[in-house]
Amino acid sequence: MEKETLRLLCKVNQLALTEEQKDSFLKFMDAREADIKALDAIDTENVERMVHVMPIMTVVREDVEKKLFTRDELQKGAPETMDGYWQVPRVVE
Amino acid sequence: MRYETVIGLEVHIEMATQSKIFCSCSAKFGGEQNDHVCPACCGMPGMLPVVNKKVVDLGMTAGMMLNCHINRVTTFDKKSYYYPDLPCSYQTTQWFSPVAVNGTVTIETSKGKKDIRIKQIHMEEDAGKLVHDEWTNTTLVDFNRTSVPLIEIVSQPDLSSAEEVVAYLERLRSLLRFAKVSECRMEQGSMRCDVNLSVRPEGSDKLGVRTEMKNMNSISAIERAIAYETARHIDALENGTEELVQETRRWDDIKGKSFAMRNKETAGDYRYFPDPNVMPIVIDDEWFAKIKGTLPEFPEVKKARYIGELGLSDYDATLLTESRALCDCFESAYAECGQAKEAANWLLSDVLNILNKKQMTPDQLTLDGKTLGKLIKLVTDGKVSRPNAKKILAEMFESEIDPAKYAEEQGYIVSSDTGAIEATVREIVIADERSVTDYKSGKEKALMAIFGKCMKALKGNCDPQTLRQMIIDVINSI
Ligand SMILES: [Zn+2]
Repeated sequence: MEKETLRLLCKVNQLALTEEQKDSFLKFMDAREADIKALDAIDTENVERMVHVMPIMTVVREDVEKKLFTRDELQKGAPETMDGYWQVPRVVE
Repeated sequence: MRYETVIGLEVHIEMATQSKIFCSCSAKFGGEQNDHVCPACCGMPGMLPVVNKKVVDLGMTAGMMLNCHINRVTTFDKKSYYYPDLPCSYQTTQWFSPVAVNGTVTIETSKGKKDIRIKQIHMEEDAGKLVHDEWTNTTLVDFNRTSVPLIEIVSQPDLSSAEEVVAYLERLRSLLRFAKVSECRMEQGSMRCDVNLSVRPEGSDKLGVRTEMKNMNSISAIERAIAYETARHIDALENGTEELVQETRRWDDIKGKSFAMRNKETAGDYRYFPDPNVMPIVIDDEWFAKIKGTLPEFPEVKKARYIGELGLSDYDATLLTESRALCDCFESAYAECGQAKEAANWLLSDVLNILNKKQMTPDQLTLDGKTLGKLIKLVTDGKVSRPNAKKILAEMFESEIDPAKYAEEQGYIVSSDTGAIEATVREIVIADERSVTDYKSGKEKALMAIFGKCMKALKGNCDPQTLRQMIIDVINSI
């Protein structure tokens, strides 16, 4: 992975990595890329594209409304809440 | 040089379901903040999404209404972006195998008919709502709308004017409301539109630089935005006023201008990835046929049938076919009473009046057409007078009643005993010497006075025309 790619990824994910962390992450990704390249040796010419890793299809439910949790239960672990809202650092411009 | 505008639309439509796309929380509009939420739709670790079958039904329905090919294996993917209105940091949507592809929508404008190609229709979840709090200078998050099911309809860049865009949006709205996919109410945000626009010299086959305006939610704002963007692009090409760049712009309808949005670098890199938590949906022949069987007649086909087969006026047929609920009610009322014009009249005057008073749209009509048909039959059979039938209709909106039974209970049945009616009329006419003299001396109004007294005495249970004739006959006989 290029340094520039990592910079963009950090930006879109709003991550602040130290130079040290970046170096270690780039090394980690290089190793993974090498692993993946090894797969190129396999002939996949006539293999159908795998849609999913699990052999389970069409897991659906009926359109029935249920209220299973209260707001208070869900917000128990929230660092900050206000008037029933989750409260986060300002993002709206 | 002459220029042409090239426009493609991405239309987001909220589907008419009870529950959300991946969990059982309510999908209803409104509610107190974070009242329609659960661990799944607020992105708690370990949660597992389960697809709402109705969403797939409606996605297929939309695809079929727009002449699309339905993908029999349809899958969900993760679209990553980081923003607090998206609790998982990804939106679950469809990228690799959307439910429907390659359709067409035929629009009609002053220039005639034109086919607009549909690239694809995909199912996805909506995002939450962010509110800025001035006092604490923080952002407040409401997840009620997260995971509310949407379909996104992506057109090819086949549109070339604001007029065509409006015709296209109205056509989509009409078809999807008819198929009960969505109410498509722009003012409530259940239909929103991203406009992709570029300009090129007329006849050129190369596309110009494209800009995108997101989340437009009124037809008139869309028209203004298209006019402004087109002029801005042409100005840039002709006079070099600015360099056009591919970007997302925000339309400010109050200022009447579009503005470049910041964070250009972060846009566009969504890193689509198959969602391992949502299993592929396989649409078998049985499921496919079932949905195909529920498709309604297209509105214009219905309209032609109402005019040609049922003898309705163009005006009445147009009004009825603006709403599927009106059509359904009309058709079952007609099936019951056998009188198309009567049924149309009752719906388009009395029923619409009541809806108006209740501040409801025709699509919200839940009146049982069969019951309306029974009421109409009572009137045309001369069993209940029109004024009393209107009272019965009003009651039909309040409770489930059988019109004939209710008319009986309320004493609304027209007496078939003409002798008794005539006796009442005679009594009143004889007692009101003055009105009789006035009428005989040519004052038509005097007849109305007698008519009113008779109607009151008969509790409205008489056909007005018959009663009027009977009064005249009685006056002439004395
Ligand atoms: Zn939920």
